[in-house]
Amino acid sequence: MSEFSVRSDSVDVEQIMRQIRGRIREKRGVDYTEAEIEKLASVKLEKFLDPRGIRSDLVQQFRARLASDQSQDEFTEAMLYETHRPALKKLRRMLNPILKLFINPAAVSGAIQSQSRRQSDVLFYEVVHNLVVEVTRLGIEVHNLKMRVESMSSRLDFDERRARAFEGSVSRPQRLDRRPAASAGATGPAGSTGSQPDGQVSYGSVQRPPEAAAPVAAGGRDQNQGGQARPEGGGPNGGNRDGGRRRRRRRRRRPGDSQGSAGLTGSTGSTGSAGSTSSEGSEGSERSSHEPDGDGGDDQ
Amino acid sequence: MKLAVVVQRYGADVSGGAELHARYIAERFAHHAEVEVLTSCARDYVTWNNELPPGEEIVNRVKVRRFPVARPRNTREFGRRSQHVFNEAHSLADELRWLESEGPASPALIQYIRRSRGEFDFFLFFSARYYPSWHGARAVPEKAILVPTAERDPAVGLSIFGPLFRGARAVMYNSLEERAMIESVSQRKGPGVVVGVGSAIPDRTQPWRFKKKFNVKGPFAIYIGRLDENKGCKELFTYFQSYATLYPRGLDLILVGSKHIDVPAHPRIRHLGFLTDEDKFDGLAASDVLIMPSPYESLSMVTLEAWALGKPVLTNGRCDVLRGQSMRSNAGLYYDTVEEFAEALFSLEASGPLGAILGRNGHEYFKRHYTWPVIERKYQDMFLQLKSQPAPPAIEPLPGWFARRRRNLPPAREVLAGVPAGPVKR
Repeated sequence: MSEFSVRSDSVDVEQIMRQIRGRIREKRGVDYTEAEIEKLASVKLEKFLDPRGIRSDLVQQFRARLASDQSQDEFTEAMLYETHRPALKKLRRMLNPILKLFINPAAVSGAIQSQSRRQSDVLFYEVVHNLVVEVTRLGIEVHNLKMRVESMSSRLDFDERRARAFEGSVSRPQRLDRRPAASAGATGPAGSTGSQPDGQVSYGSVQRPPEAAAPVAAGGRDQNQGGQARPEGGGPNGGNRDGGRRRRRRRRRRPGDSQGSAGLTGSTGSTGSAGSTSSEGSEGSERSSHEPDGDGGDDQ
Repeated sequence: MKLAVVVQRYGADVSGGAELHARYIAERFAHHAEVEVLTSCARDYVTWNNELPPGEEIVNRVKVRRFPVARPRNTREFGRRSQHVFNEAHSLADELRWLESEGPASPALIQYIRRSRGEFDFFLFFSARYYPSWHGARAVPEKAILVPTAERDPAVGLSIFGPLFRGARAVMYNSLEERAMIESVSQRKGPGVVVGVGSAIPDRTQPWRFKKKFNVKGPFAIYIGRLDENKGCKELFTYFQSYATLYPRGLDLILVGSKHIDVPAHPRIRHLGFLTDEDKFDGLAASDVLIMPSPYESLSMVTLEAWALGKPVLTNGRCDVLRGQSMRSNAGLYYDTVEEFAEALFSLEASGPLGAILGRNGHEYFKRHYTWPVIERKYQDMFLQLKSQPAPPAIEPLPGWFARRRRNLPPAREVLAGVPAGPVKR
């Protein structure tokens, strides 16, 4: 897992558990207890996630209500006396004080207005309710997708490291195969040939990275050392410094090239994969050391 | 030296934890001493039916003497009595009746122990909660070495066990948590040592053979043990299904053991049934992680076996013993909630180095504490210590007829609730 910082062999389980709990807290925002979560969930379900409250004809009703509301919103006390006959309108105004002795028209108009508002509120409530339902659903979906993305990125990270480990393990036998051909065809220098009578011995020389890596990285300091180091990446032109540089450049441009990758892994370790490879390598060795049959590869 | 191992069931095919523990100890000490196993004729721990013939028998080069069970267990009666003594105020007589109903009641076995007390140097009593250990240890207190295998269950809170824990010559604990619990509940001061048990770990395992034989593809977590609700399996199934939803390409779950509850039909859960030891160890070696969901364990042998093979474990955090061992060994993670289960399992499967490091810590922990030379040394040191010390006074006698019937004892659950809980860190 990428977020776990396991830097050394001395791990602390309690610390790991704290990290795990921290991750869980981050995901769900607040560290609720199970009981609290259940309570929250039940409240939400009761208040908002009631499917019976959702109506398919809500929009039409809302429009109709909105239209009637617009006319009712303008309702005032004066509208009680409205008429298209001016004489009657005048008479009503004159008698208005007498009417006010018997009833309170302002209260009537207020009641009509508030009733109209309440009906609108119900519809607005439904709209808000539906929005909350959708937001809740989307929130859950986003949460799930986040976790999936996180899971996938972690797995990708792990697969990459694993692939590099496999590349590293594959590149060694390649070097083993290439060594005799290289030493025979290219240098054949007295020192190297004499000290490396077979492929096994030449593979052994790869196991001293400081000496083997330095000449190649520096472009070759002398023929003999270059001759020993080149077979990993140099090949037949072991003595040509410029040629060696050109080859290295080409390999860096084409990391998929098997020869190039073998040379780079062994010689420089500067691609960034070397670090990962070595860490995976240590994992592999730990696993195999635990299993009596040393079959660590099967477990992965 | 002549040792008697007293245990409720015994046999090569008896796979209970305490019974296996007793068999391993008997077989190991048969190399150094004359060992005789005293047990019942029962094979089934639920009914205690007399299924095996009484008399002598040799099992894996160890002499076994079986005694008949006087009456099989009446499960309804046992359940009723358990409810009473665990949850209500009760009398000592009630507790004694509970012990009788739990079984396996074998007066012939106790008589033999009493008769042959001079023949043996020590009697090792396994599982304090059963009839043979309780009555047997009271019959020969000066030679009684108790291996309580006690879990944090209400039975420990019963008052009949206090004098037993206090009066035994020595107690061989399975874990620091068990020791803390027993010493707290009984105020025991006598000799005792945390020993546990080793295991028959094979020199070589063949994970690929397991995968081929059972057609297992991809990484997987394994559970080994009885598929039982008491072992936390139901919770495991629920939690694993949540994990599988969260991590669609994560580990599969392989279940090994006899089935007592239904296994959910899920594409990533497979039940292989009861396996031979060879298959079991190969499966363990092939797995990425062992899951131990049981909330009640005095010692999980399969957890130790996983550590012996360098595998990390994921344990139920509610089990103090497993949690404590995981913390002390730095070899396993634990969970309290479904989220912790999913995250911990994910971290064990996804971050390879973490699992490997935990596994290696487990291997070191096993080597340091649970290899057979270590276990045998602890037992032998205890035998020497007890031989050099005078025997203490006998176990406190039971009170009189009227006192035994006085309902003045608190519910066992209440007693247990007062006992400090939690893992012992160091």
